[in-house]
Amino acid sequence: MADVITLVWGPAGVDRAAQGLLGAGRRLAESLGGKLRAAVLGATDDASIAAIQSVADTVLVVEDEVLGEYQPENYLTALVAVCKKLSPSAVLLGNDTASQELAARLAHRLGGSAAGDAVDVSVADGRLQVTRGVYGGKATAKIALARSPGVVWVRARAMAPAVARAPGEVERIKLGIAPDARVRVVSRNVEAKSGARLEDARLIVSGGRGLGGPEPFKQLQTLADAIGAQMAASRAACDAGWVPPSWQVGQTGKKVAPELYLAIAISGASQHIMGIADSKVICAINRDPDAPIFKHCRFGLVEDYQKVVGPLVEKLKQH
Amino acid sequence: MNILVCLKQILDPQIPARDFRIDSAKREADRGSAALVTNIFCENALETALQVREAHGGKITAISCGSETAEEVLRKALALRADEAVLIASPAANPDPLFVAKTLAAAIRKIGSFDVVLVGREAGDWGAGQTGGLLAEELGVPCISFAESFEPASDPAKVRVKRQTDSGWEVVESTTPLVVTITNHEHNVPRIPKTRDVMQSYKKPLTKWTLADLGVDPQTANSYYAVADLFIPQKETRCEFISGDTLDAKIDAFANRMTEVVHSI
Amino acid sequence: MNDPQQATREVFWNIHHAWVMYALLVPTVAVAVYGLYRRVRVWRRGQPETESRWDRPQERIVLVLKHALLQLRTWRKLYPGVMHAMIFWGFIVLTLATTVVMIDYDFRIPIMRGYFYLVFQSFLTDIFGALVIVGIGMAAVRRWIARPKTLVYTREASVILCVIAAILFSGFLVEGWRIAATDDPWGAWSPVGYLFARASGQLMSVEAMRTAHVTTWWTHLLLAFGFLAWAPYTKMAHVIRATLNIYTSRLAPIGANLRKVDFESEEPLGIHSLAGFTWKDLLDFDACTECGRCTAVCPANHVGKQLSPRDIILDLQRLSHSENADFSKSYLGATPALSADAMWECTTCGACVDACPVSIEQMPKIVDTRRYLVMEDAEFPDTMQQALTSVETRGHPFRGTAFSRVDWAQGLTISTMAEARDAEVLLWVGCGGALVERNQQVVRALAQLLTKAGVKFAILGREEKCTGDPARRIGNEFLFQQLAQENVATLDRYQVKKIVTSCPHCFNTFRNEYPQFGGRYEVNHHSEYLAELVRAGKLSADMPTDKKVTFHDPCYLGRHNGVYDAPRELVQLSTKSTPIEMTQNRSNGFCCGGGGGMSFIDEPPDKRVNQARAKQALETGADIVAVGCPFCMTMLEDGINATKGDRETKVMDVAELLWQAQAKDGQQKAGQ
Repeated sequence: MADVITLVWGPAGVDRAAQGLLGAGRRLAESLGGKLRAAVLGATDDASIAAIQSVADTVLVVEDEVLGEYQPENYLTALVAVCKKLSPSAVLLGNDTASQELAARLAHRLGGSAAGDAVDVSVADGRLQVTRGVYGGKATAKIALARSPGVVWVRARAMAPAVARAPGEVERIKLGIAPDARVRVVSRNVEAKSGARLEDARLIVSGGRGLGGPEPFKQLQTLADAIGAQMAASRAACDAGWVPPSWQVGQTGKKVAPELYLAIAISGASQHIMGIADSKVICAINRDPDAPIFKHCRFGLVEDYQKVVGPLVEKLKQH
Repeated sequence: MNILVCLKQILDPQIPARDFRIDSAKREADRGSAALVTNIFCENALETALQVREAHGGKITAISCGSETAEEVLRKALALRADEAVLIASPAANPDPLFVAKTLAAAIRKIGSFDVVLVGREAGDWGAGQTGGLLAEELGVPCISFAESFEPASDPAKVRVKRQTDSGWEVVESTTPLVVTITNHEHNVPRIPKTRDVMQSYKKPLTKWTLADLGVDPQTANSYYAVADLFIPQKETRCEFISGDTLDAKIDAFANRMTEVVHSI
Repeated sequence: MNDPQQATREVFWNIHHAWVMYALLVPTVAVAVYGLYRRVRVWRRGQPETESRWDRPQERIVLVLKHALLQLRTWRKLYPGVMHAMIFWGFIVLTLATTVVMIDYDFRIPIMRGYFYLVFQSFLTDIFGALVIVGIGMAAVRRWIARPKTLVYTREASVILCVIAAILFSGFLVEGWRIAATDDPWGAWSPVGYLFARASGQLMSVEAMRTAHVTTWWTHLLLAFGFLAWAPYTKMAHVIRATLNIYTSRLAPIGANLRKVDFESEEPLGIHSLAGFTWKDLLDFDACTECGRCTAVCPANHVGKQLSPRDIILDLQRLSHSENADFSKSYLGATPALSADAMWECTTCGACVDACPVSIEQMPKIVDTRRYLVMEDAEFPDTMQQALTSVETRGHPFRGTAFSRVDWAQGLTISTMAEARDAEVLLWVGCGGALVERNQQVVRALAQLLTKAGVKFAILGREEKCTGDPARRIGNEFLFQQLAQENVATLDRYQVKKIVTSCPHCFNTFRNEYPQFGGRYEVNHHSEYLAELVRAGKLSADMPTDKKVTFHDPCYLGRHNGVYDAPRELVQLSTKSTPIEMTQNRSNGFCCGGGGGMSFIDEPPDKRVNQARAKQALETGADIVAVGCPFCMTMLEDGINATKGDRETKVMDVAELLWQAQAKDGQQKAGQ
């Protein structure tokens, strides 16, 4: 069948990623001439189901208790069962870590092919074609998936949401999955987040290697607070242990799509740019006028951040 | 603990952008004068293995699937004191991740038993991030991804893996054998080899296998997916450099530009 | 009647049992010789030197004359120079005088007679003896009142001053009483003794003087012999050890003072215990006089870092002294000065080596220790690791650079060696010149000057690899040797004879270090070569600027290789006046802070060598700080940025200055 399944993680609800995913799913389903079927795994609420229902043709809500907590082997088993039940041509997932780690394995179990980090999914010669950045963002590739179904995880937040239409059917099922005894989650640490997740943040202040240590990040935090922004960092700052790894933005790290991304003392290597390329406006403060970051900026200030941040905070507070 | 580490050799990701060229016929990057390096996440994986062996004992075998130049990657691994190294000579120019996974799986079955296979979470060139998961499927073992470290659990047949999630981290316990994909962390920054070990590495044994030795058909190198097109996108962004007579004026102008954007949300 | 030709004095006047003195000589000399021998025994535990320290004796003797006799380096500071010269020459004269007595009395050769006796033995000896006292007085004021930071404050040092003073005073007293008691007709020829004599004559009877004379004579003897016996066990032995150290010092320039590691045999690699040092290194430790000048001129120490070359040497001296010292024990961390952290603060500027009045080589020992830390321990600062990994992987230390090796040449017609087989000169661009944007402008200026002068030159382009200087200075000698061999192979393939470098580090490595790997070329730094072209009439300055310029000597050009004038000639030509000299210039220049791998280190914000030097440069009031090195360029621009006032002080290379002074259409203004 030419259907497209989009996978939505119940606990996340219909966030911006899910919206983008559903939009991409709808457009792909139209190219394939099939239906958009949403599958929801894990506990979810009725409002979310209603929101999904308004854009998908069918919604399959999988209610097995074992899916109450994310455990990769169990979720994989569930996904395989769902896909075997629905026999899609394509399966779309977002770019959260669960999707990233399950996509290829799912494709393998279905005898299909997977690809990831897609900015576009299209159909060519009856096969899925995925467009993505490669070589650290220096090049763009079109990958043709040889087998079916094609399982693709996409940069969901950068994709336009679907348009509401007549509500689809909802089916609630229990797959009766036997939990995988080999793997169990022992403990979990969720960092206290004040506000939105980084991927959903509309304003981000980010620091890099040029800050030289953890202390300057505190000053950047005052800047972020002044405009209600989230904090992020380049890989170098995270590797040095100055900030938690969850702040890392880049090729390996969060992909963000804010309205404004302020990069402070970040050189702008292409691997970092890969994580921020979907930003509407990028601006930077860096004392090196030749820092590559400026090539991606709408506007920039060539100064030592130490001289700028303090006064900038004051001025922003006044506005 | 019997640890296998898979290492990929890639084109230096630090090539200056203007030196980066594509061979559009071959649909891969043109090497030019760029160096070849070990993928950073593979190095993180090897470092993780070295730390586990230091703390809990065991054996580390480094494996690489690639062209003859990949031997350098394995020499570096031996210089870091990996116990053994295996090179699988694979001439395929741009094999898909399933081909690589099948090849590695065949090699691993030939090597024998193992407790943990470590792979980098993705490669700095193609960044597919699939080899680990597909390898786990080929070997029929669990896969834990985005790990920063692991250690034996109190149960000798299990390991505990600390992995990164979108919102923080979690510790997952799994039976062995399994595949673990490693991501970067401040504690697994690759170490520098000691010179004496570098000098010794050339004397350490390095096994070489061909695809034929492993029963892998090179014709299947792109039966999972193929690169249909590869190009360098044209970018057009002109940066407005904020200017002013004094520093204060510049900061003022910068603040104004920022506020324009913030208020438009 | 008193015939001056017969002038003399009675030796051992009023002294009985003089044989006791001769008897006491035996244990004195024995103890002294044993003291010297103990040191020699320690030195013999050292490794052999790979290069001879005894060859070219004529040059070595000249060094001894310059530094041991004339003590030219000691004179760099006026007060200690005067003070030490007085003490030194005083002792020389007194020793000669004593020898004269011995020749006259013991060998019965009557030289202590007549005018010689009067002028030399009496007058000059007295004057010089007095100068010793003045010198000791100056030393005492310095040590007990002024208390400069550079000195080491030990009881031993104070006791030495007191003992010497006591010997001199007692000597004058003895002389005075003799003159007074014997009514010496020639007494006035010994002015100081004569003063004592006159004063005593007022206060004491002859009997009293005789008694005092005897007592004081024996006291004087015991003090002198005691001092003689004790001296080899104290820093006073520098008299011998320093002379020996100066004789065996390295004849090559500072830039050639790192030894080559033999990877086949050296174990461990580098040095971390006394066992790794050579006999010359151990002699270095013992030659130290605790003057503290090395630490005083150390730029790292100046900005408040822990590094202290003086304490490294003295701590190692002390460690090597202890009876049954365990030479295999690691000295790392044994004292704060011997910590690994301190080793990583060194810029290898060589100021310590240059300042040492007794020719100790402090800096190479720091590099040797780094070699151990890097090659055996693989423990060294992260950013240096990244730089070296980059050198190993991609042939340059600037990971993340947006440039390739040939981007700087865009728009210029420059051939590579592969293309231009008739090139006479290889322009070695260097990593800094090619890959750091500010320095590209310097290389462009240089290349255009060479073109204008009609020089047939070419570059290696992408075949250029780091010379290995940062690898060697950081301590990875293995990587350095690999690079040296590869570069020599490339250069020989193109049959390169003459190299001009844009960077003093490349210059130093090619000139002083590559010959050890079979690479023998005629090497010049670009300032030297440009100056040569100017002298040959091939280049001149049409439009010199009237801006005020000061020149900052790059350590690897100046102190390491003695090239000070060529860059100044270029500055002179390009401006309308001689360059303003900073207080610390030429061989006394203050490092920019970038050498030794330090440009890859993030220093604490309050301890930045480059800012200290920038301040010194700004103090001259110059509009332009001229440099000759890509590291100096970066460090001083950063330093000036951090410390400048409202003036716009620019940093420019001498090549840029000269290029700017050329009349041409559509010229590119460099650095402005």
